Amino acid sequence: MTETRLDADATRVGGTGEAMIVCEGVDKFFGDFQALKGINLQVGTQEVVVVIGPSGSGKSTLIRCINRLEKHDRGRIVVDGVEMSDDVRNISEIRREVGMVFQQFNLFPHMTVLENVTLGPRQVRHWNKRKALELGMQMLERVQIPEQASKYPGQLSGGQQQRVAIARALAMQPKVMLFDEPTSALDPEMIKEVLDAMQELAESGMTMIVVTHEMGFARSVANRVVFMSDGQIVEVGTPEHFFTDPREDRTKLFLSQIL
Amino acid sequence: MDLGLSRPTVEEPVPPPEPERHDQRRVPPGEWVRDNLFNSVLNGILTVVFGVIVVYALFRALRFVFVSARWEVVEANLTNLMVGLYPRSALPRVWLALGILAVAAGLGAGAASRRRRTSASRLDALKRSAPALVGLLVILSFTRTPLPALLTAAVLAVAGLSWLGGSRLPERFSRRLPLVYVAAVFAAYLAMTAAGGPGIDRWGGFLLTTSVAVGGIVLSFPLGVLLGLGRRSSFPAVRTFCVGYIEIIRGVPLITLLFIGSVTIGLFLPPGFNRPELVTRGLVVIILFTGAYLAETVRGGLQSVPVGQTEAAKAIGLSPLKTTFLIVLPQALRNVIPTLVGQFISLFKDTSLLAIIGLIELLGIAQAILFQGDFRGQGLQGETLAFAAFLYWVSCYSMSRAAQRLERRLGVGER
Ligand SMILES: Nc1ncnc2c1ncn2[C@@H]1O[C@H](COP(=O)(O)OP(=O)(O)O)[C@@H](O)[C@H]1O
Ligand SMILES: [Mg+2]
Repeated sequence: MTETRLDADATRVGGTGEAMIVCEGVDKFFGDFQALKGINLQVGTQEVVVVIGPSGSGKSTLIRCINRLEKHDRGRIVVDGVEMSDDVRNISEIRREVGMVFQQFNLFPHMTVLENVTLGPRQVRHWNKRKALELGMQMLERVQIPEQASKYPGQLSGGQQQRVAIARALAMQPKVMLFDEPTSALDPEMIKEVLDAMQELAESGMTMIVVTHEMGFARSVANRVVFMSDGQIVEVGTPEHFFTDPREDRTKLFLSQIL
Repeated sequence: MDLGLSRPTVEEPVPPPEPERHDQRRVPPGEWVRDNLFNSVLNGILTVVFGVIVVYALFRALRFVFVSARWEVVEANLTNLMVGLYPRSALPRVWLALGILAVAAGLGAGAASRRRRTSASRLDALKRSAPALVGLLVILSFTRTPLPALLTAAVLAVAGLSWLGGSRLPERFSRRLPLVYVAAVFAAYLAMTAAGGPGIDRWGGFLLTTSVAVGGIVLSFPLGVLLGLGRRSSFPAVRTFCVGYIEIIRGVPLITLLFIGSVTIGLFLPPGFNRPELVTRGLVVIILFTGAYLAETVRGGLQSVPVGQTEAAKAIGLSPLKTTFLIVLPQALRNVIPTLVGQFISLFKDTSLLAIIGLIELLGIAQAILFQGDFRGQGLQGETLAFAAFLYWVSCYSMSRAAQRLERRLGVGER
């Protein structure tokens, strides 16, 4: 098994060529169950990596390890030159540089849209109110919902909520954005507006890891696609490679099921 | 329970429920009575029997209130009932304190009034303050000189002016309101006690009841929140302490704790400290007692907040402390407002147990005045107890109405 996983593609760096994220031999256990098995992956600055794979294969666990929502048990994770350790200062430094967008949006329902977006800059970056509000509105304009600024999340559609979640993450001015199935909880007619916002972000040069089942997005936006199964990276390659000539049987089987 | 995993995917804003309309069709009263009260022989009998009981009880109650009751016992003791043995020379302090509280209440109501411009909600606001106004009128109807009525009018005028001021203040001020309330309570306390004013040990009657209740609520709330948080702490020692505390307190009746506290609190203090006054000891016990119950409510509220909220807060880099106080707690507390207020109302009523350890609060004074020379042995406890019960009811009912409003306001547009 392991010999196919460690091919050249898995560690090759795309984007500008400098590594933004490095995972080396990352293992993660939930009790006796091993959710990640020796993950090796490098993501280059400004690179967009799409992670696909069957449910339960460890995609969420992998990206949650990158901002320490889960603690990895073995191996190294380095983000923008900072190695993840148990030191809380390390963790908070990495979290400042890494934005995350969740499947369930996880907006703060007791705050307005603008308060959601400015919370990080105010409380974590300690910006003054004016500066934070200015930036917050800028971010809302970027995801094209500045007119919703004073509403509460519960008053928005799913697509609008997810765009607020993207704006909230961007307001921290992260160097990396992680997306965990950002469109899976959305009604079909709202998926496009969120993917459009993500595409705009990718084109602006943001480094991104996106877990998604949206193959159209993977095809047109990803620099590389990573296929995971059973806690391992099975195959890594360009979108063309994946959609025209996948090498591994497991990849072929998975793609035949979802395409 | 909502763990953030099974949330509905798209949450459309829920339209406000249609106002319920019962009986749009006009039913002639005769027909309604036949259909609802006499539609079978058994119902007919029950209607007659309970009708007689209700009418008789009502008749006796009204006869007591308006004919047979000798309200002069309340009239002669109104000041006693309101402030107990509080030195009469210091009464201006009480009015000053009321004025301070009126400023805060007026500012708050004024600031809130900007949100409600319709005549329907104005009517609602009036309805909400009705029990308090009725209570005020009833109290004033027992006064023998015009002075209290004049001073009450002055306090209400202060409240009115503050209302006007509050409705003109900028929006961001309304966020600071809780701070204003707390400041007003402290200022009122200072007005009562500073510069040689009588300490709380010399307060009594309704004044003592409300003071202990307010002090109990204001201080037991943070205790309850801390215990509730501690119960979920990741430090085993903190968790064990909180669980132990909560379970021990909840396993003992309040009256027992009051007796224990009234005797032993002094024994736990380091040497050099004077034994605190009986009131203080009672108040401390009430705070410690209520805190344990609030903690369980708070814990329930904390559990109702989806884990996704904590994760999102972590992901933007908030510290655990800020995550708790800015994200989790506000949602947790909002979810348990009805229960919290229920516990505060309980606390208000539980202050009457202080009478048993010898404090002359509202219930205590209502009993004590029956032993005065003029009224001794004349069977007037009906009058004094009815008056005390009425004040308890007005207070608790007002709290419950205020809570309903808070709940509605915080629920608007969220989730
Ligand atoms: N907190 C957890 N405790 C125990 N098992 C978990 C936990 N989170 C994930 N797992 C398990 O780890 C595996 C990978 O999960 P996940 O990363 O969520 O998969 P994916 O996102 O690819 O669907 C699954 O088998 C899942 O049951
Ligand atoms: Mg997942």
